[in-house]
Amino acid sequence: MFLGTAKSIVQSAAWRVSLWATLAFACGTMVVFVFLHQFVAGDIQRRTDAWLTGEVEVLADVAKRTPKDYLYGRVVREVAELASREVPHKRGAKVGLNDSVFFLQTAGDGSLALWAGAGDGGAHLRAVRNARIVPDAPSNLRVSGFDTPFRVVSVRMENGNNIYLGLSERDELRVLAKLRLRFIILWLLIVLIGSTIVFYSTRQVLLHIRQITDAASRIGEADLSSRVPGARRNDEVGQLARTLNRMLDRIESSIRQLHTITGSLAHDLRSPLTAVRAKLEMALTAGARDEESESIVSAIEDMDRLTEFLNKSLDVAEAKANALRLNRVAIDLDEILRVMIDLYEPGMSEKGIQIDLASAGTLHINADAALIHRMMANLFDNELKHLPPSCTVKISLRSSGEAALLVIEDNGPGFDPEISARLFEGRVKGRNSKGHGLGLAFVEAVVRAHGGTLEASNRREGGARLSVVLPLAVNSSGNLAPSLAQAS
Amino acid sequence: MRLLLVEDELEIQGFLQRSLTEAGYQVEAAGDGRTAERLAIESSHDVLIVDLGLPDQDGISLILRLRQLGLTAPVLILSARRSVDDRVRGLEQGGDDYLTKPFALAELLARLRNLLKRNNASGAEATRLRVLDLELDLLRREASRSGTRLNLTPQEFVLLEYLCRNAGRVVTRSMILDQVWGMRIQPDTNVVDVHIYRLRGKVDADGYGPLIRTLRGVGYVLRDR
Repeated sequence: MFLGTAKSIVQSAAWRVSLWATLAFACGTMVVFVFLHQFVAGDIQRRTDAWLTGEVEVLADVAKRTPKDYLYGRVVREVAELASREVPHKRGAKVGLNDSVFFLQTAGDGSLALWAGAGDGGAHLRAVRNARIVPDAPSNLRVSGFDTPFRVVSVRMENGNNIYLGLSERDELRVLAKLRLRFIILWLLIVLIGSTIVFYSTRQVLLHIRQITDAASRIGEADLSSRVPGARRNDEVGQLARTLNRMLDRIESSIRQLHTITGSLAHDLRSPLTAVRAKLEMALTAGARDEESESIVSAIEDMDRLTEFLNKSLDVAEAKANALRLNRVAIDLDEILRVMIDLYEPGMSEKGIQIDLASAGTLHINADAALIHRMMANLFDNELKHLPPSCTVKISLRSSGEAALLVIEDNGPGFDPEISARLFEGRVKGRNSKGHGLGLAFVEAVVRAHGGTLEASNRREGGARLSVVLPLAVNSSGNLAPSLAQAS
Repeated sequence: MRLLLVEDELEIQGFLQRSLTEAGYQVEAAGDGRTAERLAIESSHDVLIVDLGLPDQDGISLILRLRQLGLTAPVLILSARRSVDDRVRGLEQGGDDYLTKPFALAELLARLRNLLKRNNASGAEATRLRVLDLELDLLRREASRSGTRLNLTPQEFVLLEYLCRNAGRVVTRSMILDQVWGMRIQPDTNVVDVHIYRLRGKVDADGYGPLIRTLRGVGYVLRDR
């Protein structure tokens, strides 16, 4: 159940939208942050370098002017320590000894001439010796025992001595690192909250669209008079609902118009037919002579054929326009088939046609019983009319997935290849056919009105094959199980 | 039996009035809804025939209003509309019946009889039917002629039972399809005729007088005289 929910969420459009929105938002904020970070880091280095360059010049100047006596070391060291006090330090080991700043003077042979800073300066001296430091340009210097490199500026003095002034950006970098950490935490939080909000708001909107879709499909199947919900909203969803509703208005009005036309056509033809039939019947009962009554009877029979033709034409016309009124109830196809076979078997065997039924048992569909009866009668009439003697009609009924599959096969001459592409159009019939060519058009129209499909083809081994697929009743799971078991 | 006929087509109204009077009904006729309502209030009728397409109103509304006024008699609806809409179906479930135009008079009479029978259904059903020398045992589902048992299939028995219950009256093919097979279909093949031929072959075998008569263009009748 949970897996199913998770799967449906992952497959939903809301999930995709929120995923992409989150991704775009996360990337964007990350880029902005990286840019700011670079800017701050660059600025810190620029300030450091400016300070270093200024101080090293002062120190070089002091070193140059101070006579090289025993006071020289003290004077320069004091100036250097004075300068280092300008740098704030938080983790200094002792007061006055700031290990984030050092001053180093090397003699011409590279030996340590003067040292001001924390420790004895040995590590710094080794680092300075190993690194090739270009005078007057600030560069990075890694000193063993220190995590962060020093920015170092050197000045070469006239007597061949080198003065190095180094400053660690340790505190600034620590601030930057803290900033990064906080940003990442906040960023994750915002991304998470943002994606949740996007997901839920998108899902909310899509839910409305889903409701509209559901309502629209219900309307398509059942009644045209209801409308999709959400038309009062002011946003795009409301627009969609209103557009759909306007479309439904138009469809409903044209279908109503069609009903009016077919209805009045039917009425206008039927009333005179009724009157004529009534007169003929009266003439018949008034005791007509034999030869007269013969022609009256055949006139009545012709009238009945005309009526049936009228009914079928109007049904096909309405069904083709998807305007058949369905009164759906649960009906059992297996039962209908058996009744039909019972009805048609004598007629068929009289003509030497054999019927075989292979049914997997009860199969319920939600359909208009009267229309399904007439559809079946058309299928059987079709076989009875067109098959030559000593043929066999094989009928099979089973469920296939969510649908009922009814296949009617015979070993007769099959469909006329000239018309097989237009079988369901109505008015189409083979050269030797006696009917008015509405039978299969009617069958197809009824099947389609119920959401099913009809396929007609000629079998390779000869004969015709009609397969009807009709959606099973949704709530027939109990009846579905045994037939599935038999079908598989 | 008093009958109220509501039909605006005068030709059909006249024909129905004559035929129904011949069939033994006392017929009052109305050509529109208002007259029908007045007649229905003035006197009581055992059964009504109402055409749906009346000049001044819809037949269904008329029936519904008469029902509100306390009408209990069954109504046979005549409809020129092809597909019968849900409201007619609703009425049908309430005990009424419908017939689409054009119709065979025999069918109209049969449906009227059905409605009246339904309306005053007499308690115990007979377990035996007898028409001349033909006898049907409804419990054992056996038929015999002059004491000789007929070898009928269950379906043939149902068909024969229906003919016997309407002995002396015409039944049409669509009535047979409706009552025996429970389907309102109009096959354009002779399937019903074949059933009748087979039944006749067994019931009217050599040596017996023919019982089942074909009335061409109308239907069949089981002779009771």
